[in-house]
Amino acid sequence: MSATSNTQQASGRFLELRNIQKWFGGVHALRGIDLTLDLGQAYHLLGENGCGKSTVIKIMSGAITPSAGEIILEGEIHSAMTPIQSLSAGIETVYQDLSLLPNLTVAENVALNEQLVSGQGRLGRFFDRKRLKETAEKALTTVGLPNNGTFLNTIVSDLPLAARQLVAIARAIATRAKLVIMDEPTTSLTRREVDNLIRVVDRLRQENVAVLFVTHKLDECYRIGGNAVVFRDGQCVAQGPIENYTKTQIAELMTGRTIDSARYRTATPMDGELFSVRGLSATGFEQLDFSLRKGEIVGITGLADSGRNELAMAITGVAPARSGKITLDGRHVVIRRPADAIDHGIGYVPEDRLAEGLFLDKSILENEIALILTRLSNRFGVIDKKAGRETAARLSEEMRLNTKDLDLPVGSLSGGNQQRVLIGRWLSIEPKLLVLHGPTVGVDVGSKDTIYRAIQALAERGIGLIIVSDDLPELLQNADRILVMNGGQVVAEFEAEKATEDQLYQAMLTSKLETTQ
Amino acid sequence: MNSSRLEELQQSRVERQPFSFGELIRRRPETITAALLVAICIIVAIANPAFLQPSTLVDIGRASVVMGLFALGVLVILAAGGIDVSFTAIAAFTMYSLTVLVQNYLPGLPIAVILMIATVGGALLGVINGLLVHHLKVPSLIVTIGTQYLFRGFLLSFIGTVWIMSLPPQMGAFGRLPLLQFESANGATITLPFYFLVLPIAAFVTWLILNRTLMGRAIFAMGGNANIASRLGYDLKKLHIFIFGYAGALAGLAGIIHVCANRQANPFDLVGTEINVIAAVVLGGAKITGGTGTVLGTILGVLLIVVINSVLVLVGIPSTWQRLVVGVFILLAAAFFVTRQRKK
Repeated sequence: MSATSNTQQASGRFLELRNIQKWFGGVHALRGIDLTLDLGQAYHLLGENGCGKSTVIKIMSGAITPSAGEIILEGEIHSAMTPIQSLSAGIETVYQDLSLLPNLTVAENVALNEQLVSGQGRLGRFFDRKRLKETAEKALTTVGLPNNGTFLNTIVSDLPLAARQLVAIARAIATRAKLVIMDEPTTSLTRREVDNLIRVVDRLRQENVAVLFVTHKLDECYRIGGNAVVFRDGQCVAQGPIENYTKTQIAELMTGRTIDSARYRTATPMDGELFSVRGLSATGFEQLDFSLRKGEIVGITGLADSGRNELAMAITGVAPARSGKITLDGRHVVIRRPADAIDHGIGYVPEDRLAEGLFLDKSILENEIALILTRLSNRFGVIDKKAGRETAARLSEEMRLNTKDLDLPVGSLSGGNQQRVLIGRWLSIEPKLLVLHGPTVGVDVGSKDTIYRAIQALAERGIGLIIVSDDLPELLQNADRILVMNGGQVVAEFEAEKATEDQLYQAMLTSKLETTQ
Repeated sequence: MNSSRLEELQQSRVERQPFSFGELIRRRPETITAALLVAICIIVAIANPAFLQPSTLVDIGRASVVMGLFALGVLVILAAGGIDVSFTAIAAFTMYSLTVLVQNYLPGLPIAVILMIATVGGALLGVINGLLVHHLKVPSLIVTIGTQYLFRGFLLSFIGTVWIMSLPPQMGAFGRLPLLQFESANGATITLPFYFLVLPIAAFVTWLILNRTLMGRAIFAMGGNANIASRLGYDLKKLHIFIFGYAGALAGLAGIIHVCANRQANPFDLVGTEINVIAAVVLGGAKITGGTGTVLGTILGVLLIVVINSVLVLVGIPSTWQRLVVGVFILLAAAFFVTRQRKK
């Protein structure tokens, strides 16, 4: 009797890691991790990129084997786990790459795994189509996705990113999980979707499920509450209730140095208009007007459907505008393709730098000079390697890359350094205007700092910058002005120095109709 | 006003009532295959009404069996993101070795057992493919090019190179065994052979595996992204063994049927037709990059190729043109599928 009440009330120990070590070749990625996870608790695994967070998650989910140490799962000691062992023990992971099967339907992605796991991975049997549908419907409803037949049968690759993220979460909760691990689950979610996710998490905790978050968004961690677990260089440097730490303390624990959270923007824009759009329209926004001075930093924010992404893509020719006039340096310019924008000196750092911006298996050198190959080559098309190397070295220096080895593949760098390579590449064409889309998405605190300093240095050289971002503190710290978009219109404009996050949220969430009424 | 993207998604999905041709092709690319097939049949029928005679249809049916069995195997492998070019060599190996075996050592072996041995033998050779692909971690194209040479080389070096013209009687009888027999208008007897049944049965079994078993879903999962599938707990080794074993089994069966139907066993036969088969599967809407494909589409693709190969003569187009037409169709279909996918 007391045993049953025990399992229902006091949450038991679920998983314990003891002195887990992991080497990748010569790299000592985990240097003895001790971690305990109790049922019904929320944990936030915090740390800079490359500190070992992902490795720990992969060990828990059975994707990789630790080099040494013990995993104690519900009292049983393992030296390693297979994915099926981990899944059937109730450990579900929402991977950062979502790990959805792009060619299968939503229902199959959400609910097929439950049947795979309950059969211990045996494949030679029919699956229960009725149960598949029911499980999927239930899980989708929980995360706030539609659960009609059309949606269930949609192929996952046809879904927008936010919906895919929720589908991945739905899969994790479709089974009777005991531990749900979420690796950066909110990167592409709007605020409202995040709110919904937080409700889902609360419910999971009430159902005595342990939830482990990996995230860079500290605000969300405080909203969810629970325990902070801070990693640095493959070691656990702090563990305890998150409310016992301030944001600055956590940032310091993560980086091992003091981080200044004050405003980065100290300079003021120069005189003279650099860039303007008049009556710009495209799918997603209508009749936009705004302008930018030399050396000015303008932040643009709004919900994901506000038209801000489309605006960034129209200015840079990725998805050209339908009508309207764009002026750069006093001249009317026509931008129909990205190449037009580049010719005019407009650079674009896309949100998804991995898919849209970088050649991951190519070296830093090759990535940095990708835009200036014609300029570097002589009339026979032979590239001047020496000049290229000098340029790349100068750009890396300017962007403060943490390595001097220009031949390293970009894929081996941390997210922050990758972003710096990408921004550095644009400097090679001496741009007049740079459009940065989510410049610090998935980047840790330390790298953010360097990227912000680099952005400020660019503005001081007279380059105009447009930062399209969800990260409101980022805009408040870096921009001169912030434009808030909503429903394809600019609904509000703030001076960044005087604005607050709340004001920005208000503007983002209140529609144009409501404000005019 | 401020409805989130997901609400919009919900609405748009519900509102998308009007029939969209592009959407249909994107989701069911075999519509194009069917349309091409129908178009050709209509054109040929107008040019030469002799096409509509039952004898032509029976011919087409008969000619589809071996290629159809091969194609179903290729479909399963393509769906899993692999490719196989060794199945013709597997077929040649099993059919010839088995014919030699039955003729010289086991003359009384019943046909049912022969068919079974062919299937199991083919499966074993396929499993070799599967194990090599899994353990060498080499693209299946390379592995199966290697095993194609290996199987065929072994056959020609160690089993024999003699063309066997007189089959063991039970095999010849199986090739002649009628399923349907009737007289055509000009008095000739038309026979749909019994072995034709094997194709619809194999098609149904393949459909059942792909669409109703966990194995089938796992095959598509691996074709979608093998790393993710493995992370989700799908056993890639089992999958590799199964898909190549299954394709091998179908190939072994196809080989022995080929022998029975032609009433001769030529060890130099079949190898070299694999591109034709892969073309049929791709024409049926399966992506060469894996993760998609349907049994219906595959069968339509096979019919399309067989029809082109057998009926162009009927309308007076020289048989040398067949390749030309097949090539144009493949390019057309591919272009069509690709542009449809890009539009999304």
